[in-house]
Amino acid sequence: MSHENATQADIGWLDDPEVFRVNELPAHSDHRFYRTADEADAKHSSYVQNLNGDWRFAYAKDPQSRELNFYEADFDSSNFDTLRVPGLVEFAGYNQIHYINTLYPWEGKAYRRPAYTMGPNEKELGMFSEAKDNHVGQYVKKFTVDPALQGNDIRIRFEGVETAMYAWLNGHFLGYAEDSFTPHEFDLTPYLTDGENTLAVEVFNRSTASFLEDQDMFRFFGIFRDVSLIAQPAVHVEDLSIKPTVNDDFKSGKLQVGAKLAGNPAGATLQLNVTDANGQPVYETKATAESDDRIADTPFDQIHLWDNDDPYLYNLTLTVTDQSGKVLEVIPYQFGFRRIEINQDKVIMLNNKRLLIKGVNRHEWDAKSGRTITMADMKADIATFKKNNINAVRTCHYPDHISWYYLCDTNGIYMMAENNLESHGTWQKNGAVEPSDNVPGSLPQWKQAVLDRARNNYETFKNHTSIIFWSLGNESYAGDDIAAMNAYYKKVDPSRLVHYEGVFHNPKYKPQISDVESRMYASPKEISEYLDDNPQKPFILCEYMHDMGNSIGGMKSYMDLFDKYPMYQGGFIWDFIDQAVEVKDEVTGQKVLRYGGDFDDRVSDYEFSGDGLMFADRTEKPAMQEVKYYYGKY
Amino acid sequence: MANTNQLKVIYGDGTLGVGGDDFHYIFNYGRGGIESLVIGGKEWCYREPKPTFWRATTDNDRGNGFSVKSAQWLGADMFSTVKSIDVKINGQLIDFPIAPENNKYSNHEYADEVAVVFHFETNTVPATPVDVTYTVQPGGSILVNAHYTGNQNLPELPVFGMRFIMPTPATRFDYEGLSGETYPDRMAGGEAGVYHVDGLPVAKYLVPQDNGVHMATKWVTITRDSVKSNMDNSKVPFSLKFAQVDQPFAFSALPYTAEEFENATHIEELPLPRRTVVSILGAVRGVGGIDSWGADVESDYHISAGEDIDLTFKIERV
Repeated sequence: MSHENATQADIGWLDDPEVFRVNELPAHSDHRFYRTADEADAKHSSYVQNLNGDWRFAYAKDPQSRELNFYEADFDSSNFDTLRVPGLVEFAGYNQIHYINTLYPWEGKAYRRPAYTMGPNEKELGMFSEAKDNHVGQYVKKFTVDPALQGNDIRIRFEGVETAMYAWLNGHFLGYAEDSFTPHEFDLTPYLTDGENTLAVEVFNRSTASFLEDQDMFRFFGIFRDVSLIAQPAVHVEDLSIKPTVNDDFKSGKLQVGAKLAGNPAGATLQLNVTDANGQPVYETKATAESDDRIADTPFDQIHLWDNDDPYLYNLTLTVTDQSGKVLEVIPYQFGFRRIEINQDKVIMLNNKRLLIKGVNRHEWDAKSGRTITMADMKADIATFKKNNINAVRTCHYPDHISWYYLCDTNGIYMMAENNLESHGTWQKNGAVEPSDNVPGSLPQWKQAVLDRARNNYETFKNHTSIIFWSLGNESYAGDDIAAMNAYYKKVDPSRLVHYEGVFHNPKYKPQISDVESRMYASPKEISEYLDDNPQKPFILCEYMHDMGNSIGGMKSYMDLFDKYPMYQGGFIWDFIDQAVEVKDEVTGQKVLRYGGDFDDRVSDYEFSGDGLMFADRTEKPAMQEVKYYYGKY
Repeated sequence: MANTNQLKVIYGDGTLGVGGDDFHYIFNYGRGGIESLVIGGKEWCYREPKPTFWRATTDNDRGNGFSVKSAQWLGADMFSTVKSIDVKINGQLIDFPIAPENNKYSNHEYADEVAVVFHFETNTVPATPVDVTYTVQPGGSILVNAHYTGNQNLPELPVFGMRFIMPTPATRFDYEGLSGETYPDRMAGGEAGVYHVDGLPVAKYLVPQDNGVHMATKWVTITRDSVKSNMDNSKVPFSLKFAQVDQPFAFSALPYTAEEFENATHIEELPLPRRTVVSILGAVRGVGGIDSWGADVESDYHISAGEDIDLTFKIERV
């Protein structure tokens, strides 16, 4: 892209769907790496310096009101406020908390049509860069590089920033990023100084990416996930590929491991060790770094399969040493053997057994901090899954915190890993299908942006055993661009299935999009009609049993379909946890939970934000015992 | 002196009193129900029990328009009136015992069984009769029968049963039935057993709505430890039991009426809990769940207005 290697930020990128990443390092696997085996055991890497904490912050109500030179190295930010990172700007009181479901958050306040939807010359310049409703957060963080990181190449990683961000170091432009829910990395090495460094980040609430992030959720902005400095050893595994495959006998398999190296690999060695769940060695090999990126391709005569009942994981350790024998990095990664496929009867099989999805959709949510969630939240959710026989999760409708994927691996949760994509307001209005301004549609100007989202999702999470479906996104209609996303996944990952529901509304794309027939909120009768009428694909409900308030009545009729139709494979309840915000009641002073519209936020969909099996305080709704019963019965 | 199992009957001018060893009940003709139900010196009635027809609109009810279609039952829940009353002594209908008819009685009247029938008429178009019969049995147990007369010209009902409002909040309730909150279309996960619940918990749905129903109940005991009487400051718990006769019933025990839930948009808007609202239900509509914007509750879990509904249960001392 022509903007690569840009040395100056351009606010016009906010308006241009063809600019979505500038100078970002390519997406890569989420493996963690350590200086020593001891560090790996302790899960603490001295190559990583956490930058979370108090940052300086200034809020501007629109782009015109912002400090234009705030990123300069000598800018005096001493009159800025202080904001906690990670955290959402709204929770610090700068921006109005707002919930809306399918319509865009500017409904009734700004008229917008996505660039190029009204014609090839309709670029809509200034739509966001000059918008009165495009709030801006300007962040400044001063830091000194820890001695443990010094002497190495150093990058910065933002794990989640809504919605569009620019970054500078010591006044030098680093880059620009969209796709709020996958990591953004920029190389800091050329601009770092030994002493104090000044990082400046400018986060915009809206950009063309907003059209792709119209998920049914509170609309927030800010740096809402962790920020870290990461030092790279002289030889470094930039990308790791672990491909365990299961043979037709379901007793033996094959392991392929590949690594893409960064740095100067001359003379370096890669030592690969695999142990079973008890720590007993089952495989080891050694490769030279220059040889190839394939460091193992080996049969496993006996494998222990991974599934929900028995989430058996092998421990892989990759150790990189330099020519003097000094360990440069140690990479631990757990993987499992499992095989997902559609058989000749058009039934989805996991390890040669029919897959029954007893799932939930899960938004990331914490009533105290919105989409900034904690490890404790994630562990509590896993415990709730296990207790209530929930075996599957759809990461609705964006990639989750990285730790969630590891937790699903170790706990045997079948994951539908969804892209960050929903353009609901561009094709469905007042319940009717009206796609005249749909994006991405078949517009060439939007294609690369959504493909980038697919690539980010795949490259980051590809090694997670728990992922059995890639999902192209949610409720975005269908066209050539989503078909291209499907083709991308098919090309890079034949080992998993691809899911997309939106093609239901534009069925001519069905041959190109989705391995499964997915619907949402279809009645049991409608499902029977599909399955009785020469079905071409196995059936999944990507959303069903809408648990708004006092609900989950009639679940039996869905569960009976398991008994009647082999091609009925289950579904994901909408949804896991209410989205509601804890506030202090202005009358009683008690902590209470508030929903859409409670912040004078208009236009809103009010209590529609609360559809969870859990209340927002993570206590179970009464209906959970019904879910536990039926999900336990099958 | 009559034998101690007999009921003492007070043929009052506005009420019928029925008493025994340690209980005394007063049926008020003008107010249309049991005005006082005292057992062991403790009052159980805040206002007269009435038939109940409404549940606070659930999110799914709102989404599929059920509460709009059935809105008449909200009026019926609040405003149905008693059209006539019958009194039966030992199974025999007597001339209505108000002056001068009751001049013939004394302060020493006894019976084996006293029944009072309140003939309600629903505040609906068309109206339909609902007969509520309280039969006081020797020893003081009260057999309650509520009979709804079907009328096909009325919309489907949210619930049908009897609602009791007690003067102070319960400290606990115990029941034999299913675990947790259950509805006709969401009770497979309820495990049969005997359960104890502290206080009167309200399920904290974001928008207050019907909650706390327990299906397939054999009995429920409500326990309080306070009364409104200025001369009774005791905190010794005391209880009242509702028990099935032939068929199990559904119930809820909450601090609020359906109307109080209906009017709140957040749980913190509900009043401070001051009373106990016990609904003993003979019919409950399912909650549904296919979606929250139009899908109906499955047809098996509707309550047709066209068919009679008969609910019988017993109120007993503990």
